Amino acid sequence: MRSLKIIFIVWILIFFLAGCSSKRDFVAPSHANRDLIVLLPDPDGKVGTIHIATKGGSQILDKPGYVVEVEDIHKLPNVPRPIEEKEMRDVFGPALSAQPDPPSRFISFLLFFENDTTKLTHESKNLMAEILGTIKSRKSNEVFLVGHTDLVGPEGYNNALSSRRANYVRDLLVSSGIKLNTLFVSYYGKARPLVSTKDEVPEPRNRRVEVIVR
Amino acid sequence: MGRSEMNPTNFKKISVFSVAIFLFLTLIGDCSSVFASAKIATVQKVSGTAMVFRQGQTLTATVGLEILENDSLRTGPNGSMGVVFIDDTLLSLGPGSVLVIEKFLFAPRQGKFSFVLRMIKGTAAYLSGLISRLAPEAAYFETPTASIGIRGTKFVVKIEGEPKR
Repeated sequence: MRSLKIIFIVWILIFFLAGCSSKRDFVAPSHANRDLIVLLPDPDGKVGTIHIATKGGSQILDKPGYVVEVEDIHKLPNVPRPIEEKEMRDVFGPALSAQPDPPSRFISFLLFFENDTTKLTHESKNLMAEILGTIKSRKSNEVFLVGHTDLVGPEGYNNALSSRRANYVRDLLVSSGIKLNTLFVSYYGKARPLVSTKDEVPEPRNRRVEVIVR
Repeated sequence: MGRSEMNPTNFKKISVFSVAIFLFLTLIGDCSSVFASAKIATVQKVSGTAMVFRQGQTLTATVGLEILENDSLRTGPNGSMGVVFIDDTLLSLGPGSVLVIEKFLFAPRQGKFSFVLRMIKGTAAYLSGLISRLAPEAAYFETPTASIGIRGTKFVVKIEGEPKR
C-alpha cells in the first residue's frame, strides 16, 4: 500500500517536471520581444481604464503614462510601470503624429443628482444652459443620455432610478425645444460607477447622467 | 421502369442540385458582408507607404479613402496612416504595422454596438469614440498575446508580431 503511494507520488512528480520542461522549451522568451501597452490621457485630460488579459491572467491599467508589458500569451501581463519619455518618443512617435485631428468630435458633460432622486444638484442645473447651447450651436441630431446611480441599494431599484434620471434630462431637453428623435437614452444603474466604491457606499459623483453631444 | 420518383439517376440529379444549392447558399452567406458593406471610417492622414487590403484587393491609402468592415490596414517601413471612424474613434498606425478591422457596428437607434480590432504587428495609437463610451463591453483590441478591453480612453500599443505561443 505504501509503495503504491510512493509510485503514485513519483509518477505525479515526473509528470509535473516533464510538463514544466516542455513548457520552458515552448516559451523561450526574449527580452526585446515584448508587447507594450501605454495608457495616455484623453485630449480633454480625462483618463480612462484599459483591461489587459492574457491566458495567464489580467492587469488593469488606469494611470496615464504607465506601460504594461506582455511577454507571452500564457504569462500574466507585467505590473504597470511608468514609461520614459524617450522610449515613448522612439517607439510611438510616428504612430502618435499620424493621429487624425477631425474638425469636431463629440463633447460630453456630467449632470449630478441629489441622493435617490431625479433632482439635479445646483451646479448641474446651471450646466443645463451650456448643454442646450452646445446642442443648438452644433445643430446636433445625436445626443446620448446615459443614466447612472451610486452603489447603494439593490440592482433593480438602481436600474429604474438611473432610467428615471436619464429620462428626466431627456424631458428637460425636449421642453427646451430639442427634438425627441435626436435624443438616445440608455441607463446602467449601479453597473458603471464613475468612482469605484464598495457596494452600498454612498458616492455623489456616481449619481449622474452623462450627456454626449455629437 | 420509367417511374421517375424512384429513378436512381434522378436521385443523383436531385442530390447534385441540392449540393449546388447548399454551396451557393454558403457562398452567399460568406459574402453577405460584401453586400452589406458600408463606410465605417475614412482615411484622414497618410505619410509614406500605406495600404488597405479588401477582399483580396490592395488599395493605396489616400486621404478621403473610405474604410469598410473587415479591411486590413498596412503601412510600409516608412509609412504611417490615421483614420477616423464614424463613431469618432481615432486610430493611427506607425511604420511596419498590420491591423485588421474585424468588427464594427455602430447602430445607436437599435442600441447595437460592436468594435473589434486585431493588431498583427507594429505600433498604433487609439482614441476612444462613442462605441467604447456607450458600450465599453463591446470594444476590444486584440493582439497576438492579449485582449485589451477599452473603457473610454486613449492608448498606444506596440506589437512585436513574432509568432508567440
